[in-house]
Parts: sequence; C-alpha cells; structure tokens
Amino acid sequence: MLLKLEKVSKNFGGLTAVNDVSLAIEKGEIVGLIGPNGAGKTTLMNLISGYYKPNSGVIEFDGVDITGSEPDRVCRLGISRTFQIPRPFPDLTALANVGVGVLGGKHRPHMSFGDALLNASHYLEFVGLFRKRNTLARDLTLYELRVLELARALATTPKLIMIDEVMAGLNPGEARRAIHLVHRMIDEYQITLFWIEHVMKVIMEAAQRVIVLHYGQKIASGPPREVVNDPKIIEAYLGEKIA
Amino acid sequence: MIAVAGLALLPLVIMSQPDYLSLLTTANIYAAVAIPLAWQTAGIGRMNFGPQFFVGIGGFTAALLSIHLGWGPWSTLWVVILLSLGLALILSPLTIIARGLYFSLITLVLPLIFLEFTYVYTNIFQGETGLSGIAPLVQFDKILTNYVVSCHLSLVMMLAILYAVDKILRSRIGLYAAAINDDEDVAKTCGLNINRWKIICFTITSAMIAVAGWFAAHYYGTFAGVTYLPLPFLVKILLINIIGGRGEVYGSIVGAYFVAFLEQALTILGPVHYIAFPFILLVLLFTLREGLYGIYRKHKYREYYPTMRVRKR
Repeated sequence: MLLKLEKVSKNFGGLTAVNDVSLAIEKGEIVGLIGPNGAGKTTLMNLISGYYKPNSGVIEFDGVDITGSEPDRVCRLGISRTFQIPRPFPDLTALANVGVGVLGGKHRPHMSFGDALLNASHYLEFVGLFRKRNTLARDLTLYELRVLELARALATTPKLIMIDEVMAGLNPGEARRAIHLVHRMIDEYQITLFWIEHVMKVIMEAAQRVIVLHYGQKIASGPPREVVNDPKIIEAYLGEKIA
Repeated sequence: MIAVAGLALLPLVIMSQPDYLSLLTTANIYAAVAIPLAWQTAGIGRMNFGPQFFVGIGGFTAALLSIHLGWGPWSTLWVVILLSLGLALILSPLTIIARGLYFSLITLVLPLIFLEFTYVYTNIFQGETGLSGIAPLVQFDKILTNYVVSCHLSLVMMLAILYAVDKILRSRIGLYAAAINDDEDVAKTCGLNINRWKIICFTITSAMIAVAGWFAAHYYGTFAGVTYLPLPFLVKILLINIIGGRGEVYGSIVGAYFVAFLEQALTILGPVHYIAFPFILLVLLFTLREGLYGIYRKHKYREYYPTMRVRKR
C-alpha cells in the first residue's frame, strides 16, 4: 500500500470540507478523484500534501505516518503535486523553476548546482519546454505553465504525483497534448497517479479506479464504468429525478 | 573588473580632497549594508525595516571593546561577527513567525528600542554624544594617507561582501532565495525546508551588516546611536535598495554611490537640502520603478538567471 487515509476529516469553522474519508492507493495505480464542485477534492489533496492539517484521521505514505507533516517533508518522502491554478515561481526562468524541484525533492547530496540544472533541462525536454528554458515563467502561456508544473513535480522524483485538473482552461488541442503527456509520464516513470479531473471522458480512459467525493464524503470507489453507472453518482452530479 | 579598477583608482585620483575620500568611504559603507540587505530581502521573502539595528550592534560592540579593553580593529572584528551571528540566530525565528507587515513593523521597532537603550544606559553608550576614542583602522603619519588607505579598506570590505553574496546567489542558495521570494508555499511543496534557509540567510546577512557598523566605528573613531539607529539612516538604505533595484546586489552599489553623492551635492543648497534630498528620491522612486539597475536588466535579464552550463570533463 503506497497511500492510506483512515477516517480523515477537515473542518473550516462550521463547514466540514472532508468528512471521515478513508481510501488506499496501491503502488503503480492510476486513481481518479471526481466529484461536483465543492465536493472537497482539492481539500483532500491539500491534506495529503501537508498544506492543511486534518482535524482527525491518519494519513500514511509508504508505511510512514505523514499526518500533519510539513509539505516539504511530504515532498521529500515522495509525494508531488500540481495546482489547479498553476503556481510557478514567476520571476524565475522555466529551467530554474524545475531546478527548484530537482534540488528540493529527493536528497541528493552529491548533485552540484550545475548538475541539477542539467537534470532540470531533461525534464523540460520531456514536457516539450526545452526551447523556453530561459523564459521567465510569468511570460509562459497557460498550457506551458501546466506542463511546467508537471516537469517540476516530476523533477522531485516522486513515487506519487497528485494532479489537480490538468485540463482546466486549455483548448481541445492543448488538452489532448496534456493528456498525452500524462500518459507518457506514467509509461516512462512508472509513477502512481492520483488525478483530480472534471472531464469524465479523460478519467474513464486513463484511471484504473475512480473515487467519488460528495459533500466531503466518499460515496463510491471502483472501476470507472461501474462508478459512472451507479445511481448515487448520477444523482450527485445531476440531482434527483423530478418525476 | 573595469568597474572595480575604476573604484580602486578613484581615491588615488582625488587623494588631495579628503572630503571626497570620506564621501567614497561613506558610499562603500552604505553599499556594505545594502548588498546583504538585497540578498536578505529575497532570501527571507520579507522587507527588513531595521537593518541599522545590526549596524548598531557592530558599531557599539567594536566601540566598547576598543575603549574599555583597548582592542584593535582586527580583534574586535571577530567578536562583532560572532556576537551578531548569535544575536541574529536568536532573532531569526521572526522570519518564520512574522509575515509581511508584522515582520516589517517588528524590525522597524528593534533599532528604535536599541536607541532608547543607548539613552537609558548613558553611562555605557554615552547617549546623544556617543562613544569616542575608538582605535582607528589605520594610523599613518600623514592624515591624507589615512584617508586614502581607509577609503581602500572600505572598498575591500564592500567588495568582500559583494563577492561572498554574489557567489552565494549564483549557487543553489540563490535559487532557494529566489523561490522563497516568489512563493513560499510552493517552495515548500517542492521540498525546500524554507525555515532553515530563511534562518541561514537572516543570520549571515545580519552579520555582514554588523561588519559595516564595525567599520564605521573604527573609521570615524566615534559611534553614536543617534547617527545610525533612527529612521533617516534606514530610509537612506531602503532607498539605495529601491533605487538600485529591489533585490539587486550590483544595483545596491549603484544606488549607494548615487545616494551618497546626491546627499553631498545637495548640501550646497543649505538647509533646503533636508527637504530637497527626500523629495528628489521620492520622485526617482516613482519614475524608476525597477531602479537604476532595472533599466539595464530590462533588456538583458537573461544573464542574471541561471542558464545551463555543462561541465567539461
């Protein structure tokens, strides 16, 4: 078991954003996380990555209890993430952005600064941004920022990557390229993927298993085909039948 | 190299003018405070409004040791460095606990409390008049030689600080500083232990600023809290950083020389210069948003960001 959550809850004042969620992800799995807006998907991701501390419950990663750990420790243990709205280091070049990931992630005491930048250029090449390596991140397009985040997440040499809506705001052509890139990433780096996505078609094709959140609670988990035909899920997304 | 050679030759060219030599030394002291502050601003992601606190720590430590124990400048230097490192380490959790405006307010108050301290304990710090009789940096028979050598020593101190900061900023620590300055939360997500790097940055830069205070004390032979600790000195340093270009190490030198020379040039206006000096600086703040160095960088920014270098084996 790579990631295990047991009865994890998070409240913001009177609002329970995540309510008693338990889930497990095996090594090498591609797990989709779906749910309507405000279901608590991003909050769950923030709890795993250490952004928020849960009010109750236990989070374990690779046998280590990471409940309430700082994000940098979580990252060094092997969990990396992207953001729903890209958050690059705007005043750094694309190369330096990925360089931060290389130097910050896995402990590599013998890697020099030059070696780290060389390594970063490899990840930029992988996502197709090598020619933009000396461009400041603030000058990149939305698609470029999304793939830059993927490169930065990969650069930390994670065991698990959590992707938060890689397709949001992209046009159909860019979205296709982004999806293709995620598939290549899975093939080449054999990483485990925890993927939040609104576009059901993409999750249906890519994920081996889908977890559904609704009002902060896990209401279903299983193979995508089964889950989308579950009446509870249809009700959560479309509402109850009027007649 | 050309700029360094120019700065080194300048005191020799104007060696018959002690006023100008003193002005160059002052500019170098300003730059020695502003350069580490430029790194600190980026490295802790916060604006320190009290860099003069450590100028005071350095100056008073050197002065008290020199006056009471008869220590020379090269003996007091090590105590200044060690003491400021220790004190900065104690204060460094502020860079983690206090964010944004709170950090700025706390650091703003620190030197003012220190100033009050110098008034309350007049028997130690001599309040308004300050401490005098501090061992000079160099002592030659000719006064003019003293000025020229001191000016060169100030340049050496400033360049040593510049070299160290520049080397650090071109290493991985520079990249960490830039990442922390851009987005602390994302830097954490990338695995950086930002608390550790902020503490290291604050501690080292504070010690460097204290060295500028040490130099000022031994150069002038007197050290008064009222000269360095109140707000006018802070305003000068902050303006040097902003006019040079926020977070720009080389810009700090340009800014320091610009502010020192402007301040001197305006004295011909008489008492009006007290108003004219801040007024001109304010106008420059609005017109040069990216600082003097920023004008140059706008067109050539790439060379200041890490580019890939492959080592030949």
